[in-house]
Amino acid sequence: MTLTYRFISLIGGSSLLFKETVRQIFRGKYEWNATFYQIYAVGVASFPVVMVTTMSIGMVMALQFGIGLAKFGGSLYIPKIVSLSVIKEFGPVFASIMVAARVGSGMTSEIGSMVVTEQVNAIQALGTSPIKKIVVPRVVGLFIALPVLCVAANILGVLGGFIVGVHDLGLDPMFYYQKIFETLKVSDYLSGFGKTFFFALMISVFACYYGLNVKVGTKEVGYATTKSVVTSCIAIMIGDYFLTKLFWLFEVWI
Amino acid sequence: MAKEIEFKNFKKSFGQKAVHEDISFSVEKGECLGLLGGSGAGKSVILKSLIGLMKPDSGSIFLEGQDITLLNEDEMVEIRKQVAYVFQNGALFDSMTVFDNLAYPLREHTTLTESEIEKRVHDLLNEFNLATDDLLYPGELSGGMQKRVGMARSIILGPEVVLYDEPTAGLDPFNIRRIQEMILAMKAKGVTSIFVTHDMPSAFACCDRIALLRKGRIVHVESVEKLKQNDTGMINDFVNGMTA
Ligand SMILES: Nc1ncnc2c1ncn2[C@@H]1O[C@H](COP(=O)(O)OP(=O)(O)OP(=O)(O)O)[C@@H](O)[C@H]1O
Ligand SMILES: [Mg+2]
Repeated sequence: MTLTYRFISLIGGSSLLFKETVRQIFRGKYEWNATFYQIYAVGVASFPVVMVTTMSIGMVMALQFGIGLAKFGGSLYIPKIVSLSVIKEFGPVFASIMVAARVGSGMTSEIGSMVVTEQVNAIQALGTSPIKKIVVPRVVGLFIALPVLCVAANILGVLGGFIVGVHDLGLDPMFYYQKIFETLKVSDYLSGFGKTFFFALMISVFACYYGLNVKVGTKEVGYATTKSVVTSCIAIMIGDYFLTKLFWLFEVWI
Repeated sequence: MAKEIEFKNFKKSFGQKAVHEDISFSVEKGECLGLLGGSGAGKSVILKSLIGLMKPDSGSIFLEGQDITLLNEDEMVEIRKQVAYVFQNGALFDSMTVFDNLAYPLREHTTLTESEIEKRVHDLLNEFNLATDDLLYPGELSGGMQKRVGMARSIILGPEVVLYDEPTAGLDPFNIRRIQEMILAMKAKGVTSIFVTHDMPSAFACCDRIALLRKGRIVHVESVEKLKQNDTGMINDFVNGMTA
Protein backbone atom coordinates (compact mmCIF):
# COMPACT_ATOMS: atom_id res chain seq x y z
CA MET A 1 0.00 0.00 0.00
CA THR A 2 2.56 2.57 1.05
CA LEU A 3 4.93 1.25 -1.60
CA THR A 4 2.31 1.68 -4.30
CA TYR A 5 1.55 5.11 -2.96
CA ARG A 6 5.21 6.08 -2.98
CA PHE A 7 5.65 4.73 -6.49
CA ILE A 8 2.70 6.72 -7.77
CA SER A 9 3.82 9.91 -6.05
CA LEU A 10 7.33 9.42 -7.45
CA ILE A 11 6.05 9.04 -11.01
CA GLY A 12 3.51 11.84 -10.65
CA GLY A 13 5.81 14.17 -8.77
CA SER A 14 8.78 13.75 -11.05
CA SER A 15 6.62 14.13 -14.17
CA LEU A 16 5.27 17.41 -12.84
CA LEU A 17 8.77 18.48 -11.92
CA PHE A 18 10.01 17.62 -15.39
CA LYS A 19 7.16 19.52 -17.02
CA GLU A 20 7.85 22.60 -14.90
CA THR A 21 11.57 22.29 -15.62
CA VAL A 22 10.99 22.35 -19.36
CA ARG A 23 8.71 25.35 -18.94
CA GLN A 24 11.29 27.21 -16.86
CA ILE A 25 14.08 26.57 -19.39
CA PHE A 26 12.32 28.88 -21.82
CA ARG A 27 11.28 31.56 -19.33
CA GLY A 28 13.32 34.66 -18.67
CA LYS A 29 17.04 34.79 -18.94
CA TYR A 30 18.79 31.45 -18.99
CA GLU A 31 21.27 30.55 -16.22
CA TRP A 32 24.31 29.78 -18.35
CA ASN A 33 26.86 30.13 -15.58
CA ALA A 34 25.09 27.67 -13.31
CA THR A 35 24.70 25.25 -16.22
CA PHE A 36 28.37 25.40 -17.14
CA TYR A 37 29.25 24.87 -13.53
CA GLN A 38 27.08 21.74 -13.47
CA ILE A 39 28.58 20.44 -16.70
CA TYR A 40 31.97 20.88 -15.14
CA ALA A 41 30.97 19.36 -11.80
CA VAL A 42 29.30 16.40 -13.46
CA GLY A 43 31.46 15.86 -16.49
CA VAL A 44 34.98 16.65 -15.50
CA ALA A 45 34.71 15.40 -11.95
CA SER A 46 33.06 12.09 -12.91
CA PHE A 47 35.51 11.40 -15.71
CA PRO A 48 38.04 9.36 -13.68
CA VAL A 49 35.38 7.12 -12.10
CA VAL A 50 33.68 6.46 -15.42
CA MET A 51 37.04 5.90 -17.07
CA VAL A 52 38.19 3.30 -14.56
CA THR A 53 34.84 1.47 -14.53
CA THR A 54 34.30 1.13 -18.24
CA MET A 55 37.91 0.31 -19.00
CA SER A 56 37.77 -2.48 -16.43
CA ILE A 57 34.55 -3.77 -17.94
CA GLY A 58 36.13 -3.92 -21.38
CA MET A 59 39.16 -5.71 -20.02
CA VAL A 60 37.18 -8.23 -17.99
CA MET A 61 34.89 -9.02 -20.89
CA ALA A 62 37.78 -9.61 -23.26
CA LEU A 63 39.32 -11.92 -20.70
CA GLN A 64 36.11 -13.87 -20.07
CA PHE A 65 35.23 -14.24 -23.72
CA GLY A 66 38.85 -15.00 -24.52
CA ILE A 67 38.91 -17.93 -22.12
CA GLY A 68 35.46 -19.14 -23.13
CA LEU A 69 35.77 -18.80 -26.87
CA ALA A 70 39.33 -20.15 -27.05
CA LYS A 71 37.91 -23.61 -26.26
CA PHE A 72 35.90 -23.50 -29.46
CA GLY A 73 38.55 -21.75 -31.48
CA GLY A 74 36.46 -18.62 -31.53
CA SER A 75 39.08 -16.10 -30.38
CA LEU A 76 38.74 -14.24 -33.64
CA TYR A 77 35.28 -13.07 -32.64
CA ILE A 78 36.55 -11.36 -29.52
CA PRO A 79 37.06 -7.90 -31.06
CA LYS A 80 33.54 -7.91 -32.41
CA ILE A 81 31.79 -9.28 -29.33
CA VAL A 82 33.61 -7.09 -26.84
CA SER A 83 33.36 -3.84 -28.81
CA LEU A 84 29.74 -4.40 -29.68
CA SER A 85 28.67 -5.11 -26.12
CA VAL A 86 30.63 -2.16 -24.79
CA ILE A 87 29.20 0.25 -27.29
CA LYS A 88 25.62 -0.98 -27.25
CA GLU A 89 25.26 -1.70 -23.53
CA PHE A 90 28.08 -1.56 -21.06
CA GLY A 91 29.55 1.81 -21.92
CA PRO A 92 26.29 3.78 -21.73
CA VAL A 93 24.77 1.80 -18.86
CA PHE A 94 27.82 1.67 -16.63
CA ALA A 95 28.66 5.30 -17.23
CA SER A 96 25.08 6.19 -16.26
CA ILE A 97 25.09 3.98 -13.18
CA MET A 98 28.34 5.49 -11.99
CA VAL A 99 27.01 9.00 -12.60
CA ALA A 100 23.78 8.14 -10.78
CA ALA A 101 25.79 6.99 -7.78
CA ARG A 102 28.25 9.82 -7.80
CA VAL A 103 26.32 12.80 -9.14
CA GLY A 104 22.72 11.85 -8.36
CA SER A 105 23.55 11.35 -4.70
CA GLY A 106 25.42 14.65 -4.57
CA MET A 107 22.51 16.50 -6.17
CA THR A 108 19.94 15.05 -3.78
CA SER A 109 21.95 15.75 -0.66
CA GLU A 110 22.85 19.25 -1.76
CA ILE A 111 19.28 20.18 -2.62
CA GLY A 112 17.98 18.43 0.51
CA SER A 113 20.33 20.48 2.66
CA MET A 114 19.19 23.63 0.88
CA VAL A 115 15.61 22.76 1.78
CA VAL A 116 16.50 22.11 5.43
CA THR A 117 18.41 25.39 5.75
CA GLU A 118 15.51 27.21 4.07
CA GLN A 119 17.61 28.29 1.09
CA VAL A 120 14.98 26.91 -1.27
CA ASN A 121 12.33 28.92 0.59
CA ALA A 122 14.60 31.95 0.33
CA ILE A 123 14.90 31.61 -3.44
CA GLN A 124 11.12 31.56 -3.60
CA ALA A 125 10.66 34.35 -1.08
CA LEU A 126 12.97 36.59 -3.12
CA GLY A 127 10.62 36.23 -6.06
CA THR A 128 12.62 33.69 -8.05
CA SER A 129 11.90 30.11 -9.01
CA PRO A 130 13.73 27.27 -7.23
CA ILE A 131 13.07 25.10 -10.29
CA LYS A 132 14.78 27.60 -12.55
CA LYS A 133 17.64 28.26 -10.16
CA ILE A 134 18.31 24.73 -8.92
CA VAL A 135 16.69 22.12 -11.14
CA VAL A 136 17.14 23.54 -14.63
CA PRO A 137 20.96 23.88 -14.52
CA ARG A 138 21.30 20.36 -13.14
CA VAL A 139 18.98 18.71 -15.64
CA VAL A 140 20.43 20.55 -18.62
CA GLY A 141 23.99 20.12 -17.33
CA LEU A 142 23.64 16.36 -17.02
CA PHE A 143 21.79 16.14 -20.33
CA ILE A 144 24.91 17.57 -21.97
CA ALA A 145 27.57 15.96 -19.79
CA LEU A 146 26.38 12.35 -19.63
CA PRO A 147 26.41 11.69 -23.40
CA VAL A 148 29.90 13.16 -23.55
CA LEU A 149 30.97 10.88 -20.72
CA CYS A 150 29.37 8.01 -22.62
CA VAL A 151 31.57 8.72 -25.64
CA ALA A 152 34.63 8.55 -23.40
CA ALA A 153 33.29 5.42 -21.73
CA ASN A 154 32.79 3.71 -25.08
CA ILE A 155 36.28 4.54 -26.26
CA LEU A 156 37.88 3.39 -23.02
CA GLY A 157 35.80 0.21 -22.83
CA VAL A 158 36.81 -0.77 -26.34
CA LEU A 159 40.39 0.21 -25.56
CA GLY A 160 40.33 -2.00 -22.45
CA GLY A 161 39.20 -4.94 -24.58
CA PHE A 162 41.91 -4.13 -27.10
CA ILE A 163 44.64 -4.09 -24.47
CA VAL A 164 43.63 -7.46 -23.03
CA GLY A 165 43.02 -8.94 -26.47
CA VAL A 166 46.49 -8.01 -27.63
CA HIS A 167 48.39 -8.39 -24.41
CA ASP A 168 46.82 -11.44 -22.77
CA LEU A 169 45.10 -13.27 -25.62
CA GLY A 170 47.84 -12.72 -28.15
CA LEU A 171 45.63 -11.28 -30.91
CA ASP A 172 47.30 -9.22 -33.59
CA PRO A 173 46.84 -5.47 -32.88
CA MET A 174 46.19 -4.57 -36.51
CA PHE A 175 43.65 -7.35 -36.84
CA TYR A 176 41.89 -6.28 -33.66
CA TYR A 177 41.87 -2.67 -34.79
CA GLN A 178 40.45 -3.47 -38.20
CA LYS A 179 37.79 -5.75 -36.79
CA ILE A 180 36.51 -3.03 -34.52
CA PHE A 181 35.84 -0.69 -37.39
CA GLU A 182 34.61 -3.38 -39.75
CA THR A 183 31.97 -4.75 -37.44
CA LEU A 184 30.64 -1.66 -35.72
CA LYS A 185 27.89 0.23 -37.48
CA VAL A 186 26.81 3.77 -36.77
CA SER A 187 23.41 2.47 -35.76
CA ASP A 188 25.06 0.27 -33.10
CA TYR A 189 26.82 3.28 -31.77
CA LEU A 190 23.74 5.47 -31.76
CA SER A 191 21.50 2.92 -30.08
CA GLY A 192 23.83 2.92 -27.07
CA PHE A 193 24.67 6.58 -27.11
CA GLY A 194 21.05 7.64 -27.58
CA LYS A 195 20.01 5.97 -24.33
CA THR A 196 22.21 8.25 -22.26
CA PHE A 197 20.00 11.27 -22.97
CA PHE A 198 17.12 9.43 -21.33
CA PHE A 199 19.30 8.19 -18.49
CA ALA A 200 20.52 11.74 -17.89
CA LEU A 201 16.94 12.95 -17.51
CA MET A 202 16.04 10.09 -15.17
CA ILE A 203 19.04 10.64 -12.92
CA SER A 204 18.74 14.40 -12.64
CA VAL A 205 14.96 14.61 -12.33
CA PHE A 206 14.78 11.87 -9.67
CA ALA A 207 17.72 13.42 -7.81
CA CYS A 208 16.05 16.84 -7.77
CA TYR A 209 12.67 15.34 -6.91
CA TYR A 210 13.99 13.53 -3.86
CA GLY A 211 16.07 16.53 -2.82
CA LEU A 212 13.19 18.99 -3.03
CA ASN A 213 10.89 16.62 -1.16
CA VAL A 214 13.01 16.62 1.95
CA LYS A 215 10.85 18.27 4.60
CA VAL A 216 12.80 18.57 7.81
CA GLY A 217 16.03 17.47 9.33
CA THR A 218 19.37 16.30 8.03
CA LYS A 219 18.56 12.65 8.75
CA GLU A 220 15.97 12.76 6.01
CA VAL A 221 18.62 14.05 3.62
CA GLY A 222 20.45 10.76 4.08
CA TYR A 223 17.33 8.71 3.33
CA ALA A 224 16.50 10.83 0.34
CA THR A 225 20.00 10.39 -1.06
CA THR A 226 19.80 6.62 -0.77
CA LYS A 227 16.36 6.54 -2.36
CA SER A 228 17.50 8.79 -5.17
CA VAL A 229 20.44 6.54 -6.10
CA VAL A 230 18.46 3.30 -5.82
CA THR A 231 15.58 4.70 -7.86
CA SER A 232 17.88 6.04 -10.59
CA CYS A 233 19.79 2.77 -10.85
CA ILE A 234 16.63 0.69 -11.09
CA ALA A 235 15.15 3.13 -13.58
CA ILE A 236 18.28 2.91 -15.70
CA MET A 237 18.16 -0.88 -15.72
CA ILE A 238 14.47 -1.16 -16.49
CA GLY A 239 14.60 1.78 -18.85
CA ASP A 240 17.47 0.12 -20.65
CA TYR A 241 15.29 -2.83 -21.57
CA PHE A 242 12.53 -0.68 -23.00
CA LEU A 243 14.87 1.71 -24.75
CA THR A 244 16.75 -1.19 -26.32
CA LYS A 245 13.49 -2.61 -27.55
CA LEU A 246 12.41 0.77 -28.84
CA PHE A 247 15.65 1.37 -30.71
CA TRP A 248 15.49 -2.14 -32.05
CA LEU A 249 11.99 -1.61 -33.42
CA PHE A 250 13.18 1.65 -34.86
CA GLU A 251 16.10 -0.03 -36.61
CA VAL A 252 13.87 -2.73 -38.10
CA TRP A 253 11.42 -0.11 -39.24
CA ILE A 254 14.11 1.94 -40.97
CA MET B 1 -7.93 50.70 -1.10
CA ALA B 2 -5.12 51.43 1.32
CA LYS B 3 -2.38 48.85 1.44
CA GLU B 4 -3.03 46.53 4.31
CA ILE B 5 -2.86 42.94 5.38
CA GLU B 6 -5.86 40.98 6.47
CA PHE B 7 -6.14 37.36 7.62
CA LYS B 8 -9.69 36.00 7.59
CA ASN B 9 -10.54 32.67 9.23
CA PHE B 10 -7.12 31.33 8.36
CA LYS B 11 -6.74 27.61 9.16
CA LYS B 12 -3.64 25.48 8.86
CA SER B 13 -2.71 22.04 10.09
CA PHE B 14 0.20 19.71 9.46
CA GLY B 15 -1.03 16.13 9.28
CA GLN B 16 -3.05 15.50 12.42
CA LYS B 17 -1.72 18.58 14.16
CA ALA B 18 -3.88 21.68 13.89
CA VAL B 19 -1.57 24.67 14.27
CA HIS B 20 -4.02 27.43 13.40
CA GLU B 21 -7.68 26.99 14.27
CA ASP B 22 -9.04 30.32 13.18
CA ILE B 23 -6.77 33.29 12.68
CA SER B 24 -8.26 36.70 11.90
CA PHE B 25 -6.48 40.01 12.20
CA SER B 26 -5.48 42.94 10.07
CA VAL B 27 -2.65 45.44 9.72
CA GLU B 28 -3.20 48.97 8.51
CA LYS B 29 -1.08 50.70 5.95
CA GLY B 30 2.13 52.00 7.49
CA GLU B 31 1.48 50.22 10.75
CA CYS B 32 3.85 47.87 12.55
CA LEU B 33 2.04 45.01 14.23
CA GLY B 34 3.88 43.02 16.86
CA LEU B 35 3.05 39.31 16.92
CA LEU B 36 3.70 37.44 20.15
CA GLY B 37 3.26 33.77 20.91
CA GLY B 38 5.05 30.84 22.45
CA SER B 39 7.59 28.82 20.57
CA GLY B 40 5.77 26.57 18.11
CA ALA B 41 2.61 28.70 18.27
CA GLY B 42 2.84 29.12 14.50
CA LYS B 43 4.16 32.64 14.05
CA SER B 44 6.52 31.68 11.25
CA VAL B 45 3.71 29.77 9.54
CA ILE B 46 1.60 32.96 9.47
CA LEU B 47 4.40 34.99 7.89
CA LYS B 48 5.28 32.28 5.37
CA SER B 49 1.66 31.99 4.32
CA LEU B 50 1.62 35.68 3.58
CA ILE B 51 4.26 35.27 0.88
CA GLY B 52 2.87 31.98 -0.37
CA LEU B 53 5.57 29.66 0.96
CA MET B 54 2.70 27.79 2.60
CA LYS B 55 -0.93 27.52 1.63
CA PRO B 56 -3.69 27.68 4.24
CA ASP B 57 -6.12 24.77 4.47
CA SER B 58 -8.94 27.30 4.37
CA GLY B 59 -9.52 31.00 4.88
CA SER B 60 -8.18 34.01 3.05
CA ILE B 61 -5.21 36.34 3.21
CA PHE B 62 -5.79 39.76 1.71
CA LEU B 63 -3.01 42.01 0.64
CA GLU B 64 -4.18 45.40 -0.60
CA GLY B 65 -7.62 43.86 -0.91
CA GLN B 66 -6.41 41.01 -3.11
CA ASP B 67 -6.78 37.43 -1.86
CA ILE B 68 -3.30 36.03 -2.36
CA THR B 69 -4.35 32.47 -1.60
CA LEU B 70 -5.99 32.46 -5.03
CA LEU B 71 -2.84 33.46 -6.91
CA ASN B 72 -0.62 31.04 -8.80
CA GLU B 73 3.18 30.89 -8.55
CA ASP B 74 3.78 33.34 -11.39
CA GLU B 75 1.42 35.89 -9.88
CA MET B 76 3.02 35.42 -6.46
CA VAL B 77 6.34 36.60 -7.89
CA GLU B 78 4.95 40.14 -8.18
CA ILE B 79 3.73 39.96 -4.57
CA ARG B 80 7.11 38.72 -3.36
CA LYS B 81 8.92 41.69 -4.87
CA GLN B 82 6.83 43.97 -2.64
CA VAL B 83 6.60 41.81 0.45
CA ALA B 84 9.90 40.99 2.11
CA TYR B 85 10.25 38.09 4.52
CA VAL B 86 13.14 38.35 6.95
CA PHE B 87 13.92 34.70 7.73
CA GLN B 88 14.32 33.70 11.35
CA ASN B 89 17.72 32.11 10.66
CA GLY B 90 18.88 34.24 7.75
CA ALA B 91 18.44 31.50 5.13
CA LEU B 92 21.50 32.74 3.26
CA PHE B 93 22.74 31.01 0.11
CA ASP B 94 25.79 29.25 1.45
CA SER B 95 27.43 28.88 -1.95
CA MET B 96 27.56 32.66 -2.36
CA THR B 97 29.50 35.39 -0.58
CA VAL B 98 27.73 37.96 1.55
CA PHE B 99 28.06 40.40 -1.33
CA ASP B 100 26.47 38.03 -3.84
CA ASN B 101 23.70 37.18 -1.40
CA LEU B 102 22.77 40.85 -1.18
CA ALA B 103 23.24 41.41 -4.89
CA TYR B 104 20.95 38.47 -5.75
CA PRO B 105 17.59 40.31 -5.60
CA LEU B 106 19.06 43.29 -7.46
CA ARG B 107 20.48 41.12 -10.22
CA GLU B 108 17.21 39.23 -10.54
CA HIS B 109 14.71 42.04 -10.43
CA THR B 110 16.41 45.27 -11.47
CA THR B 111 18.36 46.51 -14.47
CA LEU B 112 21.06 48.15 -12.36
CA THR B 113 24.63 47.89 -13.60
CA GLU B 114 27.23 45.97 -11.60
CA SER B 115 28.77 49.20 -10.27
CA GLU B 116 25.39 50.50 -9.14
CA ILE B 117 24.71 47.15 -7.47
CA GLU B 118 28.08 47.32 -5.76
CA LYS B 119 27.31 50.74 -4.36
CA ARG B 120 23.86 49.76 -3.17
CA VAL B 121 25.14 46.61 -1.48
CA HIS B 122 28.02 48.36 0.26
CA ASP B 123 25.78 51.16 1.50
CA LEU B 124 23.39 48.65 3.01
CA LEU B 125 26.19 46.57 4.54
CA ASN B 126 27.41 49.74 6.19
CA GLU B 127 24.02 50.39 7.70
CA PHE B 128 23.97 46.87 9.07
CA ASN B 129 27.43 47.19 10.57
CA LEU B 130 28.84 44.58 8.19
CA ALA B 131 31.00 46.81 6.03
CA THR B 132 34.10 44.62 6.04
CA ASP B 133 32.41 41.25 5.71
CA ASP B 134 31.28 41.40 2.11
CA LEU B 135 33.62 38.71 0.80
CA LEU B 136 32.98 36.15 3.53
CA TYR B 137 30.78 33.11 3.01
CA PRO B 138 27.75 32.59 5.28
CA GLY B 139 29.48 29.65 6.96
CA GLU B 140 32.19 32.04 8.12
CA LEU B 141 29.73 34.37 9.89
CA SER B 142 28.31 34.20 13.39
CA GLY B 143 24.61 33.47 13.80
CA GLY B 144 23.86 37.12 14.55
CA MET B 145 25.80 38.30 11.52
CA GLN B 146 23.92 35.83 9.29
CA LYS B 147 20.67 37.25 10.61
CA ARG B 148 21.67 40.78 9.76
CA VAL B 149 22.81 39.80 6.28
CA GLY B 150 19.50 37.99 5.81
CA MET B 151 17.59 41.10 6.85
CA ALA B 152 19.67 43.29 4.55
CA ARG B 153 19.02 40.95 1.62
CA SER B 154 15.27 40.94 2.29
CA ILE B 155 14.87 44.71 2.25
CA ILE B 156 17.35 45.63 -0.47
CA LEU B 157 14.65 46.03 -3.11
CA GLY B 158 12.80 48.59 -0.98
CA PRO B 159 9.66 46.55 -0.24
CA GLU B 160 6.30 47.99 0.76
CA VAL B 161 5.63 45.32 3.36
CA VAL B 162 8.23 43.68 5.60
CA LEU B 163 7.67 40.59 7.71
CA TYR B 164 10.29 40.34 10.45
CA ASP B 165 10.70 36.88 11.95
CA GLU B 166 12.50 37.45 15.27
CA PRO B 167 15.11 39.77 13.79
CA THR B 168 16.65 40.69 17.14
CA ALA B 169 16.89 37.21 18.69
CA GLY B 170 20.47 36.26 19.43
CA LEU B 171 21.92 39.72 18.83
CA ASP B 172 23.96 41.87 21.21
CA PRO B 173 22.41 45.10 22.62
CA PHE B 174 24.28 47.31 20.18
CA ASN B 175 23.02 45.41 17.14
CA ILE B 176 19.53 45.11 18.58
CA ARG B 177 19.48 48.90 18.72
CA ARG B 178 20.61 49.08 15.14
CA ILE B 179 17.88 46.69 14.02
CA GLN B 180 15.31 48.73 15.95
CA GLU B 181 16.52 51.85 14.19
CA MET B 182 16.30 50.09 10.83
CA ILE B 183 12.74 48.98 11.53
CA LEU B 184 11.76 52.48 12.61
CA ALA B 185 13.43 53.93 9.53
CA MET B 186 11.48 51.53 7.31
CA LYS B 187 8.32 52.53 9.13
CA ALA B 188 9.10 56.20 8.58
CA LYS B 189 9.19 55.43 4.86
CA GLY B 190 5.63 54.16 5.15
CA VAL B 191 6.41 50.45 5.18
CA THR B 192 3.74 48.18 6.65
CA SER B 193 5.14 45.41 8.80
CA ILE B 194 4.52 42.44 11.05
CA PHE B 195 7.16 42.02 13.71
CA VAL B 196 7.37 38.57 15.30
CA THR B 197 9.45 38.74 18.45
CA HIS B 198 9.96 37.75 22.06
CA ASP B 199 12.02 40.87 22.65
CA MET B 200 9.61 43.23 24.43
CA PRO B 201 11.76 46.37 24.51
CA SER B 202 12.07 46.11 20.72
CA ALA B 203 8.38 45.44 20.28
CA PHE B 204 7.56 48.45 22.45
CA ALA B 205 10.05 50.59 20.56
CA CYS B 206 8.86 49.67 17.07
CA CYS B 207 5.25 48.46 17.11
CA ASP B 208 1.96 50.33 17.08
CA ARG B 209 -0.11 47.40 18.26
CA ILE B 210 0.68 43.98 19.63
CA ALA B 211 -1.26 40.79 18.95
CA LEU B 212 -1.08 37.64 21.04
CA LEU B 213 -1.27 34.26 19.35
CA ARG B 214 -2.29 31.31 21.46
CA LYS B 215 -3.76 27.89 20.73
CA GLY B 216 -4.28 28.66 17.09
CA ARG B 217 -6.10 31.94 17.57
CA ILE B 218 -5.32 35.61 17.93
CA VAL B 219 -6.62 35.99 21.47
CA HIS B 220 -5.85 39.64 22.07
CA VAL B 221 -4.76 42.78 20.27
CA GLU B 222 -3.77 45.90 22.15
CA SER B 223 -2.09 49.18 21.30
CA VAL B 224 1.42 49.68 22.63
CA GLU B 225 0.34 52.96 24.24
CA LYS B 226 -2.17 51.15 26.41
CA LEU B 227 0.21 48.32 27.23
CA LYS B 228 2.76 50.80 28.46
CA GLN B 229 0.18 52.44 30.73
CA ASN B 230 -1.17 49.45 32.60
CA ASP B 231 0.62 46.25 33.44
CA THR B 232 -2.34 43.91 33.63
CA GLY B 233 -3.98 41.92 30.89
CA MET B 234 -3.22 38.94 28.74
CA ILE B 235 -0.32 40.36 26.81
CA ASN B 236 1.52 41.52 29.89
CA ASP B 237 0.92 38.15 31.53
CA PHE B 238 2.51 36.53 28.52
CA VAL B 239 5.40 38.95 28.54
CA ASN B 240 6.02 38.41 32.23
CA GLY B 241 6.04 34.66 31.78
CA MET B 242 2.73 34.11 33.60
CA THR B 243 1.23 32.16 30.71
CA ALA B 244 2.49 30.44 27.58
N1 LIG C 1 6.86 22.37 7.18
C1 LIG C 1 6.29 21.91 8.29
N2 LIG C 1 5.87 20.65 8.37
C2 LIG C 1 5.26 20.17 9.47
N3 LIG C 1 5.02 20.91 10.56
C3 LIG C 1 5.41 22.19 10.55
C4 LIG C 1 6.05 22.76 9.41
N4 LIG C 1 6.32 24.05 9.69
C5 LIG C 1 5.86 24.27 10.94
N5 LIG C 1 5.31 23.17 11.45
C6 LIG C 1 4.69 23.04 12.78
O1 LIG C 1 3.89 24.17 12.97
C7 LIG C 1 4.03 24.66 14.29
C8 LIG C 1 4.35 26.13 14.23
O2 LIG C 1 5.63 26.33 13.70
P1 LIG C 1 6.28 27.77 13.57
O3 LIG C 1 7.61 27.57 12.97
O4 LIG C 1 5.34 28.68 12.89
O5 LIG C 1 6.43 28.20 15.09
P2 LIG C 1 6.89 29.61 15.65
O6 LIG C 1 5.73 30.22 16.35
O7 LIG C 1 7.53 30.40 14.59
O8 LIG C 1 7.95 29.17 16.75
P3 LIG C 1 9.38 29.83 17.11
O9 LIG C 1 9.12 30.95 18.03
O10 LIG C 1 10.08 28.71 17.82
O11 LIG C 1 10.01 30.21 15.83
C9 LIG C 1 5.10 23.84 14.94
O12 LIG C 1 4.47 22.99 15.86
C10 LIG C 1 5.71 23.04 13.86
O13 LIG C 1 5.94 21.73 14.32
MG1 LIG D 1 9.38 30.89 14.05
